[in-house]
Amino acid sequence: MHAETLPDMALMHSDSLVERARQGDRNAQGKLVQLWYKRIYNYCFKFFLDHDMAMEASQKAFISMCRNVEALQDVSRFKSWLYTIAVNSCREEARKVKNSRSLSFDHVVSADAEDSPAWEKAVRRNENPERQYQQQELSDLLQQCLMELSIEQREVVIMKEYEGLKFREIAEALNISENTVKSRMYYGLDTLKKILERRQITKETIGYEL
Amino acid sequence: MNFKPDEALLMAYLYGELQGEEKVNVERYLLEHPEAVRELEGLRQVQSIMAGITDKEVIAPPIVLDHQRKYYFWNTSFGKTMLGIAASLTLIMLAGKFTGLHISVKDKTLAIGFGYSGSDSPAEVATSQPVLTSSEVQDMINQSLSRNNESLVAQWSESQQKLDESIRKNLASYSDSQFNTLMKQVSAASDEQIRQFAFTLQADNAQMIKGYMTLNSSDQRKYIEELLIDFAKYLEQQNRNDLQVLQARLNSIEQNTDLFKYETEQILTSIISSVDNSKSFATKN
Repeated sequence: MHAETLPDMALMHSDSLVERARQGDRNAQGKLVQLWYKRIYNYCFKFFLDHDMAMEASQKAFISMCRNVEALQDVSRFKSWLYTIAVNSCREEARKVKNSRSLSFDHVVSADAEDSPAWEKAVRRNENPERQYQQQELSDLLQQCLMELSIEQREVVIMKEYEGLKFREIAEALNISENTVKSRMYYGLDTLKKILERRQITKETIGYEL
Repeated sequence: MNFKPDEALLMAYLYGELQGEEKVNVERYLLEHPEAVRELEGLRQVQSIMAGITDKEVIAPPIVLDHQRKYYFWNTSFGKTMLGIAASLTLIMLAGKFTGLHISVKDKTLAIGFGYSGSDSPAEVATSQPVLTSSEVQDMINQSLSRNNESLVAQWSESQQKLDESIRKNLASYSDSQFNTLMKQVSAASDEQIRQFAFTLQADNAQMIKGYMTLNSSDQRKYIEELLIDFAKYLEQQNRNDLQVLQARLNSIEQNTDLFKYETEQILTSIISSVDNSKSFATKN
């Protein structure tokens, strides 16, 4: 779960802000963007594991939010509504990438590189055990595991595990039933478990690493 | 008891979103089924490992929106395509215009040329049309009118000629017949008749000449009389003029002699006086 920071607290009390934004207040809209940008960006980043695409998708999501916020019916549903926009934006970007012929450098890694996880190489770099760097490395490694999930499972896992949405909110955001969300979550976690086992990532190895 | 929680229930339990009877049921089931607990533990471990993914820090870029923006036709992709097609067509037409592109299909042959305009090009016809001024139009009208007049006149003279000819022909036929009758009459006439005719003719002529002569002689006499009178007057006038001239001459001669006489006298007196003076001088000496 993510830590409760100041912006996160503000998110909880943003109903009046959403109401003002809904009435066409540009300032309130700008504040909403400031409040939610980190969350939506991180959702997009975990979805793509690519900074540029995450920036692209999140900016498009917020542009769409500002354009359509006045048509929002229920202020209390703002969160799930915003995630709906983010999900659609990410899906659209993913489709574009699929259609475009250019390849990201991230996708041009050889198959051998996958079998030798980066954190294993880090063991040989004990001379300079910079904790933050290792944390980042672990984070990247786990994100690669996340990328192995199907898009549907990934969406649910990110929203539940990292964005802290309730199953009801995820169901609203994805416009599917709550049970479907839960079942996707279950299979998502199950798949992740297998991936972690395959990559030999356990609590112990992480503890050793840290 | 046959209760077995499905994945959905397990998930809800795992994330603490179960309440009341369902939660109790799941907890009771877990107590009885350690394998389910192990499964749940495994999932919890996955959760805790995956929590190692940290959030990325990011600064929200400014998002500037123009809410007044409307969706015009040319903002849609269809509109853009249409405008693109129109623009390229215009370009092609302009290029054709400036390079003088000429395409013609004649006698099953396709001719494409640049900077060439055939005699049968429609552009030429189009340009020649507005060059006509009103005066030129007037000229054309006049020309056609005069041509029409000429043809009318020609027709008219032709018909006139025909008419004349027919008249002459008629007349000729008529006079011929008259002449023929006259000739017959003449040939029919006797010598006596001819003599009589000549005699009457002579008598007529003599009478006419006599009348003419008498009329003529009286006129002539009057005329000669007038002529004589005029001539006499002329002679008289001439004499008078001669006399006057003579008189004038005489007068001038007279004057001249007078002047000469006077001059000689003067000369004589001067000579005499000089002679006298010399004579007296000589005597003094």
